[in-house]
Amino acid sequence: MKREVLLKALLIGLLALSPQTLLAGQDQIPDLSGNYDIATLTPLERPRMFGENLYLSKEAAEKITADNARLISATSRDSDPNREAPPTGGDGSRGAAGNVGGYNFFWIDRGDDAFEIDGKFRTSIIYAPSDGRRKLTEAGTQKRRKRFAAFRPNKGQAWWLKTGGQGPYDDPELRGLGERCLLGFGSTSGPPMLPVLYNNVKRIVQTPDHVMILTEMVHDARIIRLNSQHLPTEIRRWMGDSIGHWEGDTLVVDTTNFGSRPGLGLASENLHVVERFKRTDDKTLLYSFTVEDPTVWAEPWSGEYPWPATEHSVYEYACHEGNYALGNILRGARLLEAEAEAGGS
Amino acid sequence: MSLKQITLFASVALALCVPGQLSAHHAFGAEFDPNRPLILRGPVTKVEWVNPHAWIHLEITNDDGSKESWAVEGGTPNTLLRRGINKNSLVPGTLIIVDGYQSKDRSNRANGRDITFADGSKIFMGTSGTGAPEDGRDPKER
Repeated sequence: MKREVLLKALLIGLLALSPQTLLAGQDQIPDLSGNYDIATLTPLERPRMFGENLYLSKEAAEKITADNARLISATSRDSDPNREAPPTGGDGSRGAAGNVGGYNFFWIDRGDDAFEIDGKFRTSIIYAPSDGRRKLTEAGTQKRRKRFAAFRPNKGQAWWLKTGGQGPYDDPELRGLGERCLLGFGSTSGPPMLPVLYNNVKRIVQTPDHVMILTEMVHDARIIRLNSQHLPTEIRRWMGDSIGHWEGDTLVVDTTNFGSRPGLGLASENLHVVERFKRTDDKTLLYSFTVEDPTVWAEPWSGEYPWPATEHSVYEYACHEGNYALGNILRGARLLEAEAEAGGS
Repeated sequence: MSLKQITLFASVALALCVPGQLSAHHAFGAEFDPNRPLILRGPVTKVEWVNPHAWIHLEITNDDGSKESWAVEGGTPNTLLRRGINKNSLVPGTLIIVDGYQSKDRSNRANGRDITFADGSKIFMGTSGTGAPEDGRDPKER
């Protein structure tokens, strides 16, 4: 009888333990540590023509890989050794290349193919909302409009003198976080951590109390405290305050306390990100996330993509030391202003 | 999926591949002047293998025989390091050609829009492994 009571007590005690405690007690928490190359050709948002279709056919995925290889091959071809200078007034390139051109393709490293999960290729990283696209609030739309207004075609003129008010080069703190070497561009350090044009290698180091994720670009180390509480709301950080816990074999990370300009484009200090890291095999993690920021996006959005292990190292970045561009940009703006005020171009 | 969809997706993927369409560390349009195009020819004098962007220095000779030092901006060296390429892959004395636009601050800096050897071949392409120039002067030796 006594023995039965003891056995029952033991059984009840075991049932009361959560799965994660059991795992922890048996040291079966998965090991996420390692280096991962998260580059992918699959875009964050789904191209509109796919509508609600989350999956990409194998043929389409293979075509993307082949087209990308062809593009790299084409951009690797020799140039004319007797070429002239590019056209006066600009080469017509858009975006970051700003009418003066970017740089050779060999500097770029954005992966070779579209990613697949459970043997199926995807049309976008975002899977919810079901069309794979984010919906802005009215305030979010205005924020985006305002941001785009600061981008004008580069004509080599101080156009901002004519618009009045503060110009985009009046203060170094008006410049982008990447340009100032504070965070890498494109939410590379996140959260959520997204693939970008280059420097896509991450390093995870795991201890019983912390998980560290090192992002190569602009040397950002995210320190995630396990089984902890968030810092007081008045403490704000570039990458927010991240706390984590294990739910079975999945690491769940909750991040709040962002500053007014998170690495994720358009997001505000109200950004809240929940990430999940799950080992799917000995060479792959599945990274998934949900983003909420009701000031900017009308509804939460979620995405996922694999993090394949890599043998490559994460290299030092030391961004500030060699960041000559910021000085060049600000000095250039002062010179163009002086020319305009002197009646020049 | 229809062929049209496949083609469209591929074109989207390729559009994303064009460097000019992508965000980068900073906007080159903010730094360089479209009204001051350049073609620079001369030997490499120094390579600054630094982030966020590498700078390759070269010396050019003007028509009157005077010399000028210029620096051209590239991308992150980390990408190339992973392909086995480092600053010693482009040794001083190597003749290069660069086209780009001068910095808006009128200093002797330009964007390295296209950086090639004297024969027009791309300086860091085809140099996987240890394929640095043997003496750094003849690009044909790569």
